[in-house]
Amino acid sequence: MASFSLNGQAVEVDADPRTPLLWVIREHLRYTGTKFGCGVGQCGACTVHIDGASTYSCLTPVSAIEGREITTIEGLSSDSDHPLQRAWVEEEVPQCGYCQSGQIMRAADLLATNPRPTRDEIVTHMSTILCRCGTYNRIIRAIERAAEEV
Amino acid sequence: MNRKDSTSVFSPNRREFLHGVGGLTLVIGSSGLISACTTEQQPPAPATGSTEITPNIWVTLGADDTVTVQFPATEMGQGSSTALPLILADELDADWDKVRIETVAFHDEAYGNPFFQNMLYTAGSLTVQAYFDPLRRAGAQARKLLLRSAAAYWDVPVEELMTEPSVVIHPASGRRLGYGEIVAFTELPETLPEVSDEELKPFGSHRYLGRDMPRRDMLAKSDGSAEFGIDVHVPDMVYASVLRAPVEDEEPISIDDAAARAVDGVTDVVALPWGVAVVADTYEASKWGKEALDVTWSESSRFREANSETDLDAYVGQAEDLAQTGTAWRAAGELDAAMDGAAEIIEATYRSDPAYHAQMEPMNATAHVTEDGKAAEIWVSTQTQSLSILGAAEFLETTPDRITLHPMYIGGGFGRRTLRRQRYVEDALLVSRAIGRPVKVIWTREDDVKDGTFRNAAAQCLRAGFDGEGNLVGWHHRVAAPKVLEYMNPPRWEVSAGRDVIAMLGSESSRYDIPNFRAEHIITERCSRVCAWRGVATSYTKFAAESFVDELAAARNIDPLEFRMQLCHNNPRALTVLETVAGMADWSRPREGTALGLALAGYSSTFAGGIAEISVDESSGVIDVHNFWLVADAGYLLQPSNSEAQLEGNVVFGISSALSEQIDIAGGQVRQNNYYDHPVMRMHEMPNIEVRAISTDNPPTGIGEVGLSSTAAALANALFAATGARVRHIPLTPQRVLAAMQA
Repeated sequence: MASFSLNGQAVEVDADPRTPLLWVIREHLRYTGTKFGCGVGQCGACTVHIDGASTYSCLTPVSAIEGREITTIEGLSSDSDHPLQRAWVEEEVPQCGYCQSGQIMRAADLLATNPRPTRDEIVTHMSTILCRCGTYNRIIRAIERAAEEV
Repeated sequence: MNRKDSTSVFSPNRREFLHGVGGLTLVIGSSGLISACTTEQQPPAPATGSTEITPNIWVTLGADDTVTVQFPATEMGQGSSTALPLILADELDADWDKVRIETVAFHDEAYGNPFFQNMLYTAGSLTVQAYFDPLRRAGAQARKLLLRSAAAYWDVPVEELMTEPSVVIHPASGRRLGYGEIVAFTELPETLPEVSDEELKPFGSHRYLGRDMPRRDMLAKSDGSAEFGIDVHVPDMVYASVLRAPVEDEEPISIDDAAARAVDGVTDVVALPWGVAVVADTYEASKWGKEALDVTWSESSRFREANSETDLDAYVGQAEDLAQTGTAWRAAGELDAAMDGAAEIIEATYRSDPAYHAQMEPMNATAHVTEDGKAAEIWVSTQTQSLSILGAAEFLETTPDRITLHPMYIGGGFGRRTLRRQRYVEDALLVSRAIGRPVKVIWTREDDVKDGTFRNAAAQCLRAGFDGEGNLVGWHHRVAAPKVLEYMNPPRWEVSAGRDVIAMLGSESSRYDIPNFRAEHIITERCSRVCAWRGVATSYTKFAAESFVDELAAARNIDPLEFRMQLCHNNPRALTVLETVAGMADWSRPREGTALGLALAGYSSTFAGGIAEISVDESSGVIDVHNFWLVADAGYLLQPSNSEAQLEGNVVFGISSALSEQIDIAGGQVRQNNYYDHPVMRMHEMPNIEVRAISTDNPPTGIGEVGLSSTAAALANALFAATGARVRHIPLTPQRVLAAMQA
């Protein structure tokens, strides 16, 4: 039985300790905003926050998060109104949308520690998350827009 | 704290609801479904009024002012789930905030795309092109009906009325009626008003089209609530992971599943014709069970011999063997006579490797087959509702009306989800039928790569004939490629008269004025699973054709831009695209350390041109792309900002694939595994990209793929400009660049 906090709520999950956090979030708890893309920490679609830091949930066994605080896209804001989410809508970033939860969670981690990142800092930080639709330019614009708000 | 069960991200429409009731017990739980149910159960409207009217198949007007538009395609990031309803709403003069969008989720040719035998089929950048006219007429017809009804109600001539969004106005008296109010007293006449061309809004006079209305899917895709196929959860569902045969057409001979069954949570092991499925209560248990299987496979498949390198050599042999004639794709003039009489003939052969879609959402499907095995409910990310239904019905040997489909958002399509036989759906159908429960099958990324349906390999022999004055008088484009359409959709191939659009698109080179022309398809043996890919064949036909144009320009010692301008002097749209992109790139400015390469590579009826600026590391052969400029003319632009987003994304996709994405096959097995050995462009690798979508007064054509067609050739041409080395093989890997530089 794994015990941790998910989006501010205490949860207990009966899962094999080896189970990647990704599958616990998505299939056991059905918070499906966090996506499966590669399973090997390459694409970043599974990015969540563990104690505020962005992490690949596909590489994190549930045994490693005992007592820790997990935040997913569903918990990033109370009403889908995080500055990044507003900026994502304003800039019309998503195309297929599949990678965007991971992109936003990764960007939120950046702005939390670096509220006014340079373009180069944005690019370096965001290069862990793939977007096959090629929305990178708009991701950059949306992060710059959100950075002006926070 | 489990969340709700799924039905569909889109509210099911009336037809789907009725259809579902006829087939299977539906899973209740979606608010959309409940509301559809409520509407159905409302008492018949009194004779004096209506709660809603449906003037045509596309739109239903509610007395509550809602306007419900049927969306006959798939939203996969291209934006047509906003663009198509906008077309209708604009002509209806509806208040956009009152428009609800319903996805057509059943197979009905009335809603189908005429470019695809009236199938519901979202591919080929043909959605707006196909539906622009019918949706405009449907909207105009509904508006006309409302105007007539209001005129009768007020007893004034209809010519005195006008509309504002969802309101009919009689300016002379200042009276106003909302569309919903009119609906309440309107009964559908026996014959609905016809709409003439003159009654449609002219280009440039639209309220919404051309004005960048916000896409409807943005918020759900920014807060995690958009539901993709992989996100489905239905009651009593179990998971299955499938160990797939290592080579196409092989099957399991013996299965040792003792270790798999010993995995905690594993409940069943099901042999499939192409693999072995491990069923479990959780996804992870099914995956661990799959990894514990010990399976012996047959060794009889001809695909054991498949080798992407030697197979491509064989394709080259066929492409260059002029004794082999193919199926004409486009022919004009007298090519053979022109070549016989030519003063000079130039030839070159181009190669392209198989290419992987690398869509972010791996293949998956959820299915629930009934006890008799003759009906099913399926949840799947699909580009074609029709083929998902027809394919499942054929597979279960039942009728299409017994398949209930829940279309979902799609985590990248790019052609991957267009086949008639959808193996991921078949996985789920077979397992569900075997165990009698709903089953969700999720492929790993490795499954997705190794069981990929790739853009086919191709070899292309290009031949050009010049007369004594140096005029280009003959063009011969020989494409050696397998019958891709036959593999994707056999019934469509049967009625195609041998014309394989998936293998040949782009080889028509229709922008250039060349009097004697032949593009032909030399049929080769299929060496891997194949399928359409982003840009369809233009990703390789335009690589070859536009590299070859560059080679001809060099041979004649003419600037590549000038040479192309001469060839399309009769084509003002192509000239405008060329001049615009050349201006953006400042084409004639000398560069130091970098070089430019140009391609004029449209897609079907859309015009586009791209210019790459690159430098090359001469020791490693690595191409560094500094800038990419792209201009497209897709006719009248409905959503300009989204059009540019599509172009931008295509440039990223195109450069990524042209430089570094490679699929190798040996012994019938794909060597690559995942994103670590099939890299996809990351943000820090992206060049500066500038795109421009020009709006012209031509009917709107596709914008979702045209940006890709220029990329490979522009890069190869820039490489030649930078180094003098000509690489005629995509991807333009460092090894190939080095080899060409040393040659």
